[in-house]
Amino acid sequence: MNKQKSMWSLRLSTAALVLIPVAIGINYIGKTIASALKLPLWIDSLGTILASMLAGPIVGGLAGIINNIIYGFTQDPISTVYAITSLFIGIVVGALSYTGWLKSFGKACILGLIVGLVAAIVSTPLNIIFWGGQTGNVWGDALLAVMLKEGYPVWLASFFDSVVVDIPDKFVSVLICYFIFKGLPNNVKNLYRGGQKIEEL
Amino acid sequence: MKKIIVDSLKYKYPGTDNLALNDISFEVEEGEIIGIVGKNGSGKTSLSLSLTGLIPHFFGGGYGGKVLVDGLEVRNSTVTEISERVGYVFDNPFSQMTAAKYTVYEEVAFGLENMGLPREEIKKRVDWSLQLLDLESIKEKYPFDLSGGQMQRVAIAGVIAMKPQILVLDEPTSQLDPEGSEEVFQVIQSLAQEGITILIVEHKLEKIAKFCDKILLLHEGQLIDFNHPQEVFSRDDLKDYGIMPPVFTRVCRALDIKNPLTGHYPVTLEEVTQLVKNHE
Amino acid sequence: MKMTLYVAKNSIVHKSDPITKLTYCLVAAIVPYIIPNHLFAFVIMLLSISLLLLGKVFRKMIPIYILSLFLLITIVIIQGIFHPDNVTPLFMLGPITFYQEGLLIASLLIIRIINMLSAFGVVILTTQPDDLIEALVKKGMSPRIGYVIGSVLQIIPQMSSMVGTIMDAQRSRGLETEGKLSTRIKAFIPLIGPVIMNSLIATRERSIALEIRGFNSKRKKTFLRDEKEFLFGKPYQLLLILCFIGAIIWRIFQ
Ligand SMILES: Nc1ncnc2c1ncn2[C@@H]1O[C@H](COP(=O)(O)OP(=O)(O)OP(=O)(O)O)[C@@H](O)[C@H]1O
Ligand SMILES: [Mg+2]
Repeated sequence: MNKQKSMWSLRLSTAALVLIPVAIGINYIGKTIASALKLPLWIDSLGTILASMLAGPIVGGLAGIINNIIYGFTQDPISTVYAITSLFIGIVVGALSYTGWLKSFGKACILGLIVGLVAAIVSTPLNIIFWGGQTGNVWGDALLAVMLKEGYPVWLASFFDSVVVDIPDKFVSVLICYFIFKGLPNNVKNLYRGGQKIEEL
Repeated sequence: MKKIIVDSLKYKYPGTDNLALNDISFEVEEGEIIGIVGKNGSGKTSLSLSLTGLIPHFFGGGYGGKVLVDGLEVRNSTVTEISERVGYVFDNPFSQMTAAKYTVYEEVAFGLENMGLPREEIKKRVDWSLQLLDLESIKEKYPFDLSGGQMQRVAIAGVIAMKPQILVLDEPTSQLDPEGSEEVFQVIQSLAQEGITILIVEHKLEKIAKFCDKILLLHEGQLIDFNHPQEVFSRDDLKDYGIMPPVFTRVCRALDIKNPLTGHYPVTLEEVTQLVKNHE
Repeated sequence: MKMTLYVAKNSIVHKSDPITKLTYCLVAAIVPYIIPNHLFAFVIMLLSISLLLLGKVFRKMIPIYILSLFLLITIVIIQGIFHPDNVTPLFMLGPITFYQEGLLIASLLIIRIINMLSAFGVVILTTQPDDLIEALVKKGMSPRIGYVIGSVLQIIPQMSSMVGTIMDAQRSRGLETEGKLSTRIKAFIPLIGPVIMNSLIATRERSIALEIRGFNSKRKKTFLRDEKEFLFGKPYQLLLILCFIGAIIWRIFQ
C-alpha cells in the first residue's frame, strides 16, 4: 500500500465531508428499520461506524457529534447528551480500522466488543450525572434496580446497565458494518481517505 | 482564439493498469460546439473530467501531457480556479443538487456564495441564469420536487451562473425522458448563442449531428477522429468503434445518396430534405 | 422535506438573535447541574418555560416532553425505591415503598431534565435552522461544517422516504418482516443494505457537484440571504457567559 495521509489530519476532503450527512442518514434509517422490525437493539450508529471505517477517526468522530447534536436540536434534546459517546465511538472505530482491525472477521468481532465497552464506559458518567444512572432500556434498567437493591454502588450498577445495552448493540452494529465495508468496491473505499496522489506518466 | 488545448494527455485511474486516456491531443476554438462520442468505457467521461481538473486533482492517478483551458494549465491549478472557467454537468440531476438549499434560487446561488461575490452581483447573475434556462417560474420551488428535466436545468443554471466560458456536459440527458431531454437540448443551443464553448458527450447522435461543429470520436482511450459531423459519421469503420451513425446517414448510405457539395452522406434531417428538394 | 420543529410565530423570542438563544439554551441547561439546588433549578426551569410561553410555542413543546416521559418515570422508580441512601419511607404503593431521600434526588433530576428540554425548546421551536447555521458560520464556524449540518436536515427525510419504499418493495417480494426474532434479524440486511450501498456510491457524484461549484474555495464566503436584524445580540450573549462563569466560580468556592 502506498503511504496515506495521516488518519488524524484535519484537512478533510470534500468526499469525506459529504460522507457525514449520509452517515447520519444511515444512523437514522438503521434505527428506524430496527424499531420497525422490533429488534431488541438500538442499531442507531451504523452510519457513524461506517464513516469511521471509511474515512478515519476525525470524520467518524465528527459524524458522531453532529449526529447527536442535530437530533438534539430537531427531535429529542436528550440525545445531545450522548454526543460525547458518539464522538468516542467514531474515534475508536476509525483509529482501529485504520490500523488493521478490519483485516479478519475475528478481529472485527473483538473491535465490536471494544467499541461496546468504550460506549459503556463513556456513557456511564453521563447517565449518572443526568439521570441518576439509567439508560432508558428496560432490561438494563431492571438490572440497575436489582444491583442497587443488592447494595452495589451506583457507578457499578449503572456501568452494568450500560454494558448489557451497549455491548450487544455495538457488537452487532460493528459486524453489520464490517460486512457492508467488505462488500464495497475499492474505488468507493478509497474515495474518502483524501490526499489523492498524482504520479507522472 | 483557442479555448482548449489538449496536448498528449495520458491518464490512468489509481489502482488500474490500463490508460483510460491514451495520448490525446486536440484543440477547440472559442464558441465551438463539440460532440464527444464513443462506446461505453471509451474514455468520454474521463476526458470530460480532465477538462474540469477533477482529473487529476479529485481522482488522483497517473497523469501525463498538458491540458490548457482558457489559458490555464489544469495540472497546476485547483478545481476551484478551473470551475470559474469550465462548467461541468453530468447525467444524474439528483446528485448535482447541493442538498442544502431550499429553493431553486438559493440552489443556483450556491457556487456564487462560495466564490465570495457581493450579494448584488449574486442576485444579478442568478436572475440572468434563471432567465437563460427558463426557470423563473419555478425559482421558489424545492429543488427535489422538480422533474428530472427541470432539475437538470437547475444544475446547468448553477454552473452557468459562475460564468464559465467553457461548458462540459457528460450525457446530460441520459436519465431524462424525451420531454426532459428536449428541454435540455433547447437550453444547450441557447447557451451556444451566448458564445459559450460547449463540449457534450451524447449517445443521441441524431441530436448532436444537428448542432455540433465537430465530433470527437474516442475508442479505448484514444482519439480516433476529430472532424465535422458529416466526415465522422460517413466513416466506413464506425461500427468498429461501437457507433451507430444517425439514422439519416444510414438510410442515405444504403441508398448511396451523397451530398454533392461535401461528398459525404448527410447527417441531419434538414440536410436530407434539402437534398431531396434540390433533386426535384 | 425538512427536518425541523420550527414553528413560525410572531414573537419577541422568534425575533431574538439565534446565537443568543443558543447560548441561553446551553447555559440554562448546564447551570442547574453545576449548582445542585432544587429551588435554583426550579427557577431556571420556570424561566425556560416562560420563554416558551412568550414565544407562543409551549403547546408544541408537549410532544417533546412526552418523548421523555418514560425516562422521567423510571427515574422516580429507580431513585424512589432503589437509591442506596434511601432510609425514610415516604409512602407505599401496594407492596412497594418509596423513600424520601430517593424521591428528593429524583425531583431534582426531573426538574433539571424538564428545564433542559424547555431550554432546547426555546431554540428548536423558535429558530429557523438556516438562520442558526448562517449565524454560526458568520461567527466563524467553517462553512463546510455549515454545509454538512444543512445537508443532514435534507438528507434524513429523503433517506427515510427511501426506506419506506424499500420496505414495501421487499415485503411485496415476500421478505418476512414479522414473526420470530431470527426472521426479523434476517430481514434487516436486505432492507438496509441497498440504501447504504446506493447512498455511499452517490457521495462521489455529490462531491464532484460541490467541487465544481467552488466548495473548496479559499475566498471568504458571502451570503445570498439578506442580513436579518435580530434583537438581543452580543451584550446578552456576554451576560449569559458571565452567568455561566459565575456558576462555576460559585461551585469552586462552595
Ligand atoms: N473511478 C474509476 N476507477 C477506475 N477505473 C475507472 C474509473 N472510472 C472509469 N474507469 C475506467 O476508465 C475507462 C474509461 O471510462 P470512462 O468512464 O471515461 O468511459 P465512458 O466513455 O465515459 O463510458 P460510458 O459510456 O460508460 O460512460 C474504462 O475502462 C473504465 O472502466
Ligand atoms: Mg461516461
